Amino acid sequence: MSLLRTRDVSIHFGGIAALDEVDIEVERGEIVGLLGPNGAGKTTLFNVLSGFLKPAWGRILFQDDEISHLLPYERVAAGMGRTFQHVRLFRNLTVYENLLVAQHRHLSSGSFAAMLRLPGWRRDERDARDRVEEILDVVNLRPWADAHPTELSYGTTRFLELASVLSLQPKILLLDEPASGIQQKEVEALGPLLKQIRDERACSILLIEHDMSLLLNTSERIYALDFGKVIAEGTPNDVVSNDLVLESYLGRTRRATA
Amino acid sequence: MSVDIAVETPTGSAPPTEELVAPPTTTRGIRRPTSAQIFGIASLAAISILPVPFGDFGYFIGQYAIIYAILGLSVVVVTGYAGLISLMPYSFAGIGAMATGVAMASWGWPFWLAIPFAAVATVPFALVVGVTSVRLKGLYLAIATLTISNALGETFFTWEAITGGDSGHFVDRPVVGPVDFGGDLAFYLLCLGAVFVLLFMVEGLRTSRIGRAMLAVRDNELEAQALGINVAKTKLVAFVLSGMIAGLGGAFLAQLLISVTPNAFQSPFAEASSLLLVTLVAIGGMDRAIGAFVGAIALVVQQQIFNGFEFFFAFVGIYAALTLIAFLLFRPGGLVQVGKILGHLTRTRPVLGISIILIILVVNVGGAWLILSLS
Repeated sequence: MSLLRTRDVSIHFGGIAALDEVDIEVERGEIVGLLGPNGAGKTTLFNVLSGFLKPAWGRILFQDDEISHLLPYERVAAGMGRTFQHVRLFRNLTVYENLLVAQHRHLSSGSFAAMLRLPGWRRDERDARDRVEEILDVVNLRPWADAHPTELSYGTTRFLELASVLSLQPKILLLDEPASGIQQKEVEALGPLLKQIRDERACSILLIEHDMSLLLNTSERIYALDFGKVIAEGTPNDVVSNDLVLESYLGRTRRATA
Repeated sequence: MSVDIAVETPTGSAPPTEELVAPPTTTRGIRRPTSAQIFGIASLAAISILPVPFGDFGYFIGQYAIIYAILGLSVVVVTGYAGLISLMPYSFAGIGAMATGVAMASWGWPFWLAIPFAAVATVPFALVVGVTSVRLKGLYLAIATLTISNALGETFFTWEAITGGDSGHFVDRPVVGPVDFGGDLAFYLLCLGAVFVLLFMVEGLRTSRIGRAMLAVRDNELEAQALGINVAKTKLVAFVLSGMIAGLGGAFLAQLLISVTPNAFQSPFAEASSLLLVTLVAIGGMDRAIGAFVGAIALVVQQQIFNGFEFFFAFVGIYAALTLIAFLLFRPGGLVQVGKILGHLTRTRPVLGISIILIILVVNVGGAWLILSLS
């Protein structure tokens, strides 16, 4: 009874199989890594899981419910949260407002309640602000609360994105290269942070990452993808010593040193 | 959750090239009025008494400007907040005006009931427009709404049962006890009250679940979806709210003109007026409610003052177009942003800031006065 699993998920782009009968599983509270060279289909898999792409065939089960037909916002409501490979934020809103937007799914008041300042709106705004105050401290963004994302360093926007997606209180986090473009010091902090998020928020994590030490030290299980196929699965040690993985990912290097 | 890891200190994580030196530390909560807000309200009050020295002509221009501010608020919601370029706000105003005409002239309803009816009458149209164009963006949406505006002019606004034919409807202004809103001052104050209520409402929308969803959709649709926002529904709500505000403005427009004729909402007047509305909101400041008010005052007052002068009218057309381009290029926040900059200047260098504000006021008010006394 896994939290998230895919069955035979396949998608083609112009005759090329971007995903070819992919079967993966993520258990509750597990950190699972996705390994593979560029173009292996990792981000495509994320887009299929989060509803931004429709698979040609195959099934996606979340908490044993079929979710293939759900739109992205409905999958968020079901408990999925994702980040993008390139940071996407609301550039014309402040950091604080960005985090308020992320509270959307926890609020319920309508537009007329807001226009007439009814109690429902008041309660919503107080709750939203309380939760934003809380999350500001989790990722240390308080000093930047009134700044715009364009005024932040790239690394800080990564943490803002993470804070936004954490605000959704997801049951599973899909993180697409969270360490890309950030400083080494921040990368080292990321591993413990992800484990802490998993422990304290009872949240599974599916992680795409090119920083090998982060991926291998954080993940409990890894799927290796190449040409849209799962070519290996297992513990980090198993996967990195798998011949197919070495060939696809590090192949030339190995042959050169052998 | 504890805080011992994650980001390094802000000063360290910001590259030296970046501008923000000292991040402001403010306490939040439901905010108390700031000095800027108090200043804004004082300015609103000052602008509101501007027509007084000009008598009835002043009140007429004031009513006209304020009704355009109401219509501008509908543009703020759909274009400023939700980022949907709709070129048919004036058609929604027309629907509201016609609904008011039918309700008051044919059914004998009082104006107070006609106002909500005018707002509700736009809803089915806004839903149709919203559903058909929810997938369109930018220029394509602009063209689609322009076409719908044109089509409404050829169909809805030629339907005699609703428009009352070429002669239109006559709608008398209401009389409440001793107050006759047929008088220019009384009707001016009524419009002023309406625009202030709507300003308050549209500004409130901005700090709410739906309002922030609109801002999010405007900035980045993909990320909005990833954060659980129903993009299609948000756009639809923006269209409906915007249509309702425009319909409400249309009810006041009907009262201003007293006689509501359909050709005002047909090509080319509908398109021209819609473009004027989008322009005035762009000049005032797109994403704040107050922008519609400021823009309407700035543009409509000029337009009305220079209306009688052939030479000046052409001049103002060019002047308005140039200011629009200048604002879009250099000050996308519009006059509201210019006001903020002046406010900042006044705080840091009071003498310079106040002199600039006084010069702007003297040039504008004095110029208007001069031209009026020459005529």
